Amino acid sequence: MKIHTLIILVISIFGLSSCIEILDDITLHNDGSGSLNYSINLSSNKVKINSILALDSLDGKKVPTVAEIETELQQFKNKLEAQPGIHNTVIEYNFTNFIFKIKCDFTSVSALQSGIKDVIKELNKEKKIPELEHNWLSFDGDKIVRSIPELTIQSAKKLKQEDITSLQQGTYTSITRFDRTVEKWDNPTATLNKNKTAVMVRTNPYALSQNPTILENNIYLSPIKN
Amino acid sequence: MKFIPLFISLLLGHALVAQKSELLIPKDAVTVFSINNISLLQKISMDDLVKYEFMEEVQQELFDGSTTGKTVKDAGIDFDQKLNIFYGRGDAYEVSGFTFGVKNEEQLFRVFDDFEKLESPYPGISFYGSYFNNLILRGNSALLIRVEPLGEKVDEMTDSIWYSRGNENPWDGYAYEEDDQLSDSLSFPETEEFDEEEYDEEENEGIEDPSAGEEEPEESVIEEDLNQKNYFELRDSVQVVMQTELLQAICNELLLNNVNLVNSDLRFAEQLTHTSEGVFYLDNSRNIEKAKGLWYFQSMFPSLYNDLQQLYAENIILGDLLLKENSIEFLMEARYGKELGSIYQKMNDSKFDKNVLKYIPESNTAYFTYNVDMREAYEQAYKVIMPILTDERNPQISTNVLTLELLNEFVNKDALFGTYKGSLFGTFNGIKKIKTTKIVFSYDEETFDYTEEEVEAEEDMPIFTLGFTTERGDIPEKVLKHLSRITSRFENRGEYWVYKDAILESADLYMIHKNGLFIFTNDEDLALNHVNGYGRKSLNKKQAKLSQKSGFVYGKVDWAEALNRFPKDFFNAEQNAIIDALRGKTGAMELTSSKTSAQKTNFKLVYNFEGEYTNSGKYLLDLLNSIYVISK
Repeated sequence: MKIHTLIILVISIFGLSSCIEILDDITLHNDGSGSLNYSINLSSNKVKINSILALDSLDGKKVPTVAEIETELQQFKNKLEAQPGIHNTVIEYNFTNFIFKIKCDFTSVSALQSGIKDVIKELNKEKKIPELEHNWLSFDGDKIVRSIPELTIQSAKKLKQEDITSLQQGTYTSITRFDRTVEKWDNPTATLNKNKTAVMVRTNPYALSQNPTILENNIYLSPIKN
Repeated sequence: MKFIPLFISLLLGHALVAQKSELLIPKDAVTVFSINNISLLQKISMDDLVKYEFMEEVQQELFDGSTTGKTVKDAGIDFDQKLNIFYGRGDAYEVSGFTFGVKNEEQLFRVFDDFEKLESPYPGISFYGSYFNNLILRGNSALLIRVEPLGEKVDEMTDSIWYSRGNENPWDGYAYEEDDQLSDSLSFPETEEFDEEEYDEEENEGIEDPSAGEEEPEESVIEEDLNQKNYFELRDSVQVVMQTELLQAICNELLLNNVNLVNSDLRFAEQLTHTSEGVFYLDNSRNIEKAKGLWYFQSMFPSLYNDLQQLYAENIILGDLLLKENSIEFLMEARYGKELGSIYQKMNDSKFDKNVLKYIPESNTAYFTYNVDMREAYEQAYKVIMPILTDERNPQISTNVLTLELLNEFVNKDALFGTYKGSLFGTFNGIKKIKTTKIVFSYDEETFDYTEEEVEAEEDMPIFTLGFTTERGDIPEKVLKHLSRITSRFENRGEYWVYKDAILESADLYMIHKNGLFIFTNDEDLALNHVNGYGRKSLNKKQAKLSQKSGFVYGKVDWAEALNRFPKDFFNAEQNAIIDALRGKTGAMELTSSKTSAQKTNFKLVYNFEGEYTNSGKYLLDLLNSIYVISK
């Protein structure tokens, strides 16, 4: 998921300086299909966001209206829903607490990945983004490999020190859920739930920007029982 | 008998030798800022000035990057003369530029090296040109001038020639959504920067990209392009001709007839005699005359337009900039004609409401008081403006006049002006943490399922208070009672009202009706603990006296406090760096006004600062340099 791109977007649009809460929750079934639940919680900054939304422009850039943001979100939803292998796309947003959620089902992680890439390309007016060549998610039936998109790593390098420091208070949570138990995983910071079917990694956007490999994980599943 | 012509020629000769740069300001200048170089340089030496980092860039610009061993001192400018910056607007053009003294022409043309010498139609005067800019040298003074015909006048003339020659509409088949986009496109549509980000494919469906595909363009498209190309070429020619004629007209008046702003407006001439570091001149009456938006009004209601022009006659703002040892002062005099002055005089002749002082805490960061009498202003405006409107023989205006007269009869003016008398005060009390709520994601450590929980949080909020004097506070109370019946967000808490989450959907707004004042604030402390005022914690006597003594307005900002109280979260890194630089430069800004007479009101804005500075000029330059270095 284009986690860091979204963080940068949030910083550049809203100029946020504290608590951003991000949840990246993927459920993966034995047949390779699954669902994505991605949430951004900006409720800690609602006074500041409201004050910025009341402006016409900030740092020479136009500040979008709530209606314009809604339209953009709707466009994103429609484009994602139109991607092959992606369905039941839902976008929920709340402009009182500034919580944004994207949910969708997918037939395979490759469908999810290429769907997201295509939407990003489309939203960037088909501009060539070399970083999108990189795959950050793969599943062979027994092992899922999660890494950070190259796009995110490149974007992280562009962040100013002040922005990075201000992200220390945020939290980033990545959860991967399965139908069967997990046998082992590579990331030492990851934890397993009680019934051994979900792996969670929690960090903050600051740590993520300092160490792009912090969320990389290979998760090995137990064999499917017939 | 020959004595008189000899005397005149001697006088003229002397005048030519002792030319002053201000005598080259065209009479069409409406706004002028004149810098008294001699006076300024007494405060800031050229040697000190050229050492500043921001001056390096100025010098690089002046000498096209080759700054080795060169400073502004080497630009050939005579710093014993004033530097005057001006802008003006005629019916068909805009004129801008600056005038200055010249000490060394050779050095000057190392700076203005892209200017070519032109044939001068005026004896003893040299002409140089670079595109739309012209440099004119008369004696030891120079005028850098740019005259631009107004776009709509150029279009009007171009269209007139274009269609009279039987040409077809150059815009036929051009897909524009709105007319105004057409005029925007007139400036080099093909070379305009194209922002790919803004390009919306969906919106542009059906419009073919001319560069796409290998197909030859259709003949009609070529004809259309040629038609437009010819139109633009004609327009360019028209623009050049108009510009030349306008420049000639201005120069004839200025250089042949010796008509300039100094001898056309004695108020400006008098202003120039001031020994302050800078003087400012803004002729509002001519601004109104040339205001773009009034053309419809001017053509539809010409006599009313003339009357309103009369009302604005003599409306002018004159100012002085003074750099003192520990302060920078800006003195401003707003002058107006008799009729408009009579309205201002009535409006500003208001008794200071001492009750406001109770609600200004001594610890404030900034505050203002504003005393006007809306009732008196209304009555006088009615007396002055209604006869002007009544004289207009126009059905639309007559209807408006009738409406105004009926409102004047039927509306309860005692209630209206009793509710809002016109006097206001406001305070900024810095930033406080306010209680808000936020949502957090809580995870079940066993299942990793999560829920959303609302928890208390704190955010920074600027704290302000705004209040107005009222005799009829019962009227806004009626409105609040009604609102509280409609929504639970309005609540009466006895001594005050609260409007929940009114500010940025996060903070409460408190409304207090006490002591003949109706007050709005987001300061919970004021509503809970000081509804009758701050008592001993309110403004000290000395400061209160200053507020009372000022005319109709008084304002004060403690910069040191204000900057220290600015929350870092509200600004980006660059802005915070500038604020940090300013933090070292403490000071207070104070605005006072005189009593308003029928002719004028005087304003004084003083920026006092503390610290070890040789003088205010050095302080100002240090400040500018700090900002420059940070923003570099």
